[in-house]
Amino acid sequence: MGLAGQYLGAVMATVRRDATIFVSYRLRVISQMAGMLLTMATFYYVAKLIRPGAVGPRDQYFAFAMLGILVTSILTSALTTAQIVRMELMAGNFERVLVSPMGPMWGVVAIAAFPVGYAIVFAAVMLAIASAVFGIPLHVGGLVPGLGVTLLGAASLASIGLLFVAGLLAFKSAMGATWVIAGLSLLGGAYFPVRLFPGWISWASEVQPFTPTVDLLRHLLVGTPAREAVWLELLKLAGFTAVLAPVAIAALVLAIRVSRRRGTILEY
Amino acid sequence: MTSQRMPLPTAEPVSTLPLDEVAIMSFAGIWRSWGRGSRRRLVLRDVDLDLTPGTAVRVEGANGAGKTTLLRIGAGILRPDAGSVHLEGWSGEGNWREYHRRIGVLSAGDRGLYARFSVRGHLAYAARIAFLPRPVRKQAVEEALVRFDLQDLAKRRADRLSQGQRQRLRLALTVVHRPRVLLLDEPRNSLDAPGQAMLADAVADVLGDGGAVLWCSPAGEQQPVEFDRSYAIRDGALEPA
Repeated sequence: MGLAGQYLGAVMATVRRDATIFVSYRLRVISQMAGMLLTMATFYYVAKLIRPGAVGPRDQYFAFAMLGILVTSILTSALTTAQIVRMELMAGNFERVLVSPMGPMWGVVAIAAFPVGYAIVFAAVMLAIASAVFGIPLHVGGLVPGLGVTLLGAASLASIGLLFVAGLLAFKSAMGATWVIAGLSLLGGAYFPVRLFPGWISWASEVQPFTPTVDLLRHLLVGTPAREAVWLELLKLAGFTAVLAPVAIAALVLAIRVSRRRGTILEY
Repeated sequence: MTSQRMPLPTAEPVSTLPLDEVAIMSFAGIWRSWGRGSRRRLVLRDVDLDLTPGTAVRVEGANGAGKTTLLRIGAGILRPDAGSVHLEGWSGEGNWREYHRRIGVLSAGDRGLYARFSVRGHLAYAARIAFLPRPVRKQAVEEALVRFDLQDLAKRRADRLSQGQRQRLRLALTVVHRPRVLLLDEPRNSLDAPGQAMLADAVADVLGDGGAVLWCSPAGEQQPVEFDRSYAIRDGALEPA
């Protein structure tokens, strides 16, 4: 097996480990699904109050908001990576990864893989339920390109999560994740179109990956008109990922080096 | 503990070995301190240590003497302020993967297990992240289960193991990838007589294959293994015990 295969195998083993532990909490999935169904029902009725044309054709607001909520759940999962690493540090489990050939950098990437992957699967299931139960008009032709956009967007959002892990390892603090989730979802237009923002703040919607991710997914999956040309939004999203991923990896490598020198890498 | 400041290394490290022996693992000129400024505390002072094939070396010392610090530097968890560690020509700084393929690390205490993960799951995971090739992975897991008498516990979750069983699992995780060098920090923790015999057998296997063992434990404890050399850390310096 080649080197890439060994690292990929180690990441997949970590995903398998985390999935095994996750399903051992039998009520967790049911609880999450019940919570999301309640949110769906709430927005289903709120959508009936929205004036026609606010986000596209009449009755589109429910689909618009659901996509925003599901992409927010992926963002939330990406940013919980720092909390998971913190728990691994406190339980003494991170040491096993640290002294393995896989090493701490790939170990952190592997730790991020399950929550982000699970959030994508969860979002897909909930979207299917939303379509079946609440009548969201899913565009079947947009499913495959939608998956591509989801993976690209998740890579970008996961990179933000890795930046938080770098902060945790270097400074023993990962504060601000809740603010970032709220800020990105607000500025990215999770619940309403970003064109409603006043001009002085609308630039903030353009400089982060949440906006193109959710906008492209709405366009591909439920036919909401895109804010800009699809190719341009795709280019923006790819650009964010191309910049954020190496920056996050570099920050992680630096944080690991610094905390090994200080002797704090296993502390929290 | 001394508060002596670390001088710049001025000389080549002096080997602890006769000239005709080649070390598998070498600690050379290791300096390490904790804290900064006036609270800076020197823990390791110009430590040289060579581990040769087939030898078990014990390092003892009082609580806080620096045993765990030395072991963590060997494991790549900590970076020394000065000095280097090499293992069969590899350095952890230069090639993390090859260096860590060759070591098995057991930290002190009873942590490092996933409560809701099975014994076999732990071992399979450890073998995978150690990059064991597929053909030997399953066999290595089975051997580790047998060696530490964990077959009947293979499906049991870690949080349902006794302290001694947990320590046997931690030892199994340390050796499952067949490392060349074992770095063991107080490995007898919670082990009964059969558990200590299993530990001694695992150490003997590594030594029999031409590997080496670095065993850290507090001074004065009886150990289930015979050591080829014993050292003590006093005021940061490594001295014959």
